Amino acid sequence: MASFAVYFVLNTVFVLAVSPLFMGLIKIVKAQMQGRRGPPLLQIYFNLLKLFKKERVVSLNSSFITLISPYINIIFILAASLCVPLVFIPAANYGFGNVILFLYLMVMAKFFMALGGLDAGSSFGGMGSSREMTISAIFEPVVIIVVSALVFVLNTFNIHQMFATTLGSSVLTNATLFLTAAALFIILITETSRVPVDNPETHLELTMVHEAMILESSGPNLALMELSHAIKSTLLMALLINILVPWGLAASVTPLNLLIGMLTFLLKGSILAIFMAVFESVMAKSRLFGLRTFFILAFALAFVTIVFELLV
Amino acid sequence: MFLFAIGVGLCLLSALICVVNTRRDNSITRKAALWLTIAACLIFVSEGARTALNNQPLQYSFSQIAPQLQFSFSIDRLAAFFILVISIVALSVAIYSLRYIEASTSGIRRNLFVPLMNVFILSMLCFVASANSFAQLLFWELISLSSFILVMYHYEKEETRKAGIFYFIMTQMSTIFLMLGFILLYNATGSFTIASSPVLTAGTNTLVFIFLFCGFGIKAGIIPFHKWLPYAHSSSPSNISALMSGVMIKVAIYGLVRYVLFVLDPQLWWGILILIAGTISALLGVIYALKEHDIKRLLAYHSIENIGIILIGLGLYIIFDSYGLSDLAFLSLAASLFHTLNHAIFKSLLFLTAGSVVEETGTRDIEKMGGLVKTMPITASLFLIGALSISALPPFNGFVSELMIFQAFFQAFAIPSHYVIVLLVVCLSLFALTSALAAACFVKAFGVIFLAMPRSDTVQQAHEVPKSMLIGPALLAFLCVGLGIFSFQIFSWLGYQPPMPNLLWVSLSLFIFLGLTVILVRAASGHVTRRAETWACGMPTPDSHSEYTAAGFSEPILTFFKPIYKTDKVIERNFWDKYGAVFKSGRADIHVMKIFEEKLYIPVANAIRSISRKVSAAQNVDLDTFILYSFITVIILIIVAGWVL
Amino acid sequence: MMNPISIILIKVLFVFILGTAALIIMQKSLRSLFSIYAIQSLLMAFVSLVLFKETGSFVLLALAVLTVVTKVIIIPYMLNRVRKDSGIHHDAEFRYLTPVSAIIIGMALIFVIYSSFLRVFQLSQDNLFFLGSVIGVSLAMLGMLVIFSRKKIVTKAVGYLMMENGVLLFGVFIAELPFIIELFIIVDLVIFILLAAVLSMGIDSTEEDLTRKLNNLTKWFKQ
Repeated sequence: MASFAVYFVLNTVFVLAVSPLFMGLIKIVKAQMQGRRGPPLLQIYFNLLKLFKKERVVSLNSSFITLISPYINIIFILAASLCVPLVFIPAANYGFGNVILFLYLMVMAKFFMALGGLDAGSSFGGMGSSREMTISAIFEPVVIIVVSALVFVLNTFNIHQMFATTLGSSVLTNATLFLTAAALFIILITETSRVPVDNPETHLELTMVHEAMILESSGPNLALMELSHAIKSTLLMALLINILVPWGLAASVTPLNLLIGMLTFLLKGSILAIFMAVFESVMAKSRLFGLRTFFILAFALAFVTIVFELLV
Repeated sequence: MFLFAIGVGLCLLSALICVVNTRRDNSITRKAALWLTIAACLIFVSEGARTALNNQPLQYSFSQIAPQLQFSFSIDRLAAFFILVISIVALSVAIYSLRYIEASTSGIRRNLFVPLMNVFILSMLCFVASANSFAQLLFWELISLSSFILVMYHYEKEETRKAGIFYFIMTQMSTIFLMLGFILLYNATGSFTIASSPVLTAGTNTLVFIFLFCGFGIKAGIIPFHKWLPYAHSSSPSNISALMSGVMIKVAIYGLVRYVLFVLDPQLWWGILILIAGTISALLGVIYALKEHDIKRLLAYHSIENIGIILIGLGLYIIFDSYGLSDLAFLSLAASLFHTLNHAIFKSLLFLTAGSVVEETGTRDIEKMGGLVKTMPITASLFLIGALSISALPPFNGFVSELMIFQAFFQAFAIPSHYVIVLLVVCLSLFALTSALAAACFVKAFGVIFLAMPRSDTVQQAHEVPKSMLIGPALLAFLCVGLGIFSFQIFSWLGYQPPMPNLLWVSLSLFIFLGLTVILVRAASGHVTRRAETWACGMPTPDSHSEYTAAGFSEPILTFFKPIYKTDKVIERNFWDKYGAVFKSGRADIHVMKIFEEKLYIPVANAIRSISRKVSAAQNVDLDTFILYSFITVIILIIVAGWVL
Repeated sequence: MMNPISIILIKVLFVFILGTAALIIMQKSLRSLFSIYAIQSLLMAFVSLVLFKETGSFVLLALAVLTVVTKVIIIPYMLNRVRKDSGIHHDAEFRYLTPVSAIIIGMALIFVIYSSFLRVFQLSQDNLFFLGSVIGVSLAMLGMLVIFSRKKIVTKAVGYLMMENGVLLFGVFIAELPFIIELFIIVDLVIFILLAAVLSMGIDSTEEDLTRKLNNLTKWFKQ
């Protein structure tokens, strides 16, 4: 119980603290790739603080959905964050960490974000919601196949135990993990609305998906939405990192271990963030209906991996 | 058993009060009758729950009606569970009907409503409790008849008549299949009693399964037998839709589970057949639901989807069981039955709240709704809870059963056969697609019905429905949340430890996070809220025409699944100039083919019609010829009896 | 017994080879198509190298070197020159199958081959060699799928080349090496003819054009 209480506080605070950092890092690297200087690393924290202090402007047409959806988003994403240990694995997990629970907690947040998009009656919001739900629906089979491969290879439903298993053994002993990591990267790109699925930079109505849904949000509402997006991104990054290279993740709670865990996670996360930024810079945004090919490719990879790794 | 009898008595009494009073339009008798029904349902709920918990089968049999034929009832745990499902839904529907019947229609026709509803509910309960197949068949027919009359309640509408007749024909077909199956069983065992695993030859075993699967499948709305379902559900009164969708199709599931589990000897390929039928029903159900803009029809297609999910669980049970993986088999069966309960609850909730909306707005077309969350906030919240449950989102009940099915799927690798594993992996991915599409569909449904601006004038006149029409659904909404959060505790209480997370802790943590977030945001922000117009690219005042429509919302998905819908897009554009630069006028249509009707139902119907024409030509003769027919028949019988037998 | 690291390496290479095959099925840009082919050949070379490390057979090393030289460098270079000369950079025409359905069929195909081989070899073979033969045949079949589902001859040529890669893989894992070389040559001849056709008639030519031109040739012999 005590271990879990420490985990509860520490994991939540840590994920809240580092998520904007990775987003800032991605922004800087992308700007550098485009020949700009980019914002300071900590700019996102200042933006969030500024947004929290500002007034909330809501549409005349909107209802209680607009008011609750940012809160629902942040609390469900935070609950999902308990499923993914960033720094150390608690002794008991109280059912947190079930991989399906993790996925569906994030879907719950998405559901309310989509409703929030429709609430103001703007056509941009509706377009964003429609596209977001479409993408998430047709992407779901890929996610589930990848997850089922993970469940099979690591022989547990629980993300905490998955990390414990990967921590105990080297990735090189299992080819599937290496391949599922590639698929997890595709999931990371898709679920966090990045190129080629979505363009996080734009406000042009033809290309935006995630940004369109939160177009009508403002002040603290927008801050909560941005923060939960950043956390979601960090969680999926952590999933990838701790499956592939879990080194540094603390198995026991001592201050030194925790410090090492935090530092190594920051380091690995930064490397992944830089990689994501570079990947995004060299890719082009795909047509919405062109995504079909992208997803079927991911699906085929995951499926073939399963068939060969698991049956032979 | 005594209390059950009292419940039945109360139901019959309530029916009687109304029947005696048919001539007078008296709302007090109707209400009194409904209160009696509510009391009876309460008894059924408590008794059902008690029997399900105690796990002590109840038996009761009437004196023999004919040799080898007696009306006997037996309520074991499975039957008690289904009685619980039926009576919970019936209870809330009865509460809802207190005002709905008065508000929705007028005239003395309403006097017949309560007795019919009671007969409908009672015959479902008796079907579940019956201990022999003859009685089952009788109650099956009673279910069909009473529900047929209830579907035809608004018989003055052309659409309703068509739906009613369609429904009646399909339901009779299901009876024929059941009858064939039961007769085969009778031939093999020599009694109508539903015996546990009698000795059957392999051929009989298979044949009985096929007949029963078709018979129950038609009633459950498995694709391709599903076509009656959207028609019948959408044109009947909303409380009846709730009963039909929430409960009646579950009765068919009960029949299937009863015979597959207790009577027949399941083979691996049955499991595969049920799994595939379930997956197809689930996927196509939700895909067709996405294109529907009639709120009740949309919900009806979701019933097909959820029946598919229930069947997936059942199919997995048979598959795992035939490989001797009993833990997994039990998990799948528990998931399937739990989803039956969950679907009964959330689907009735959705139908009842949708009924309130239809009642207030006078239309079933969701393209004409919008903004109802401001005028009907409680109904909207209840519908939202239903939508979250059906989309399988934590911590609601729909999530728990889908989670269990996912976990059963994930352990498919324990099966030795590669083919079966690959099949399961394919079904798993389609199942995931289904559940994600359901979420998309309910974002559309809730968003378009309740959010943003009203799309027509009548919708603006809507106001919140009376209390009883809120209490009925509220009861179900409460169960949706309770069965989700306390699912782990409920299963442990029943003596089963499912390998799933305890959602109570999850909910607790959500609660803590909510508290902290609210406090922090309050502390940090100036908590000033200003209302302003929605930004519409600088256009003057945005009106409902600039909103996203339901058709627009589902358009990307329709495009992605174009091969399944067989959609036909027609775009006509006229321009002012010859270069096609300045747009003058235009028209765009998206037609969706009704594949099953055009490719399956109509050809079959035509074939039957041509056969029956020939038969009727032989029948359409004078009396002498008829006597000649009888003469020939008798002679043939004599010959057969004398020489052949 | 093989080194476990090598087994993992080969398995990973297999999946990536199949991934490149899937990309070849649906890629519309010719430049990317050729690069993907080059990558696929490079992966093949790596497979040979790993096997060489394990078995020490110099034929495999030679094969790896040959593959790198011809298929990673020379053939893609030639193809790219043709592309630049003709100025045509895309082949977006599909016949019989759309890219998405082609991939789905490809997946089903691999599984069918897998299960049929399972029956034939009865799992008596070493798993890795069994898998290698399955991937080899699958690759050949996917190449054939590319040939009939794409219209432009240059894409068809890449399909043939992919088939050849499949045959090579099958040979490395199952059959005797001389046998492969024989097939190697036959398939190479076909490719050579096709490449010649492309070079002479331009990249934009489809099969119909080729047949028409060949039909014209027959006039000379009829008299």
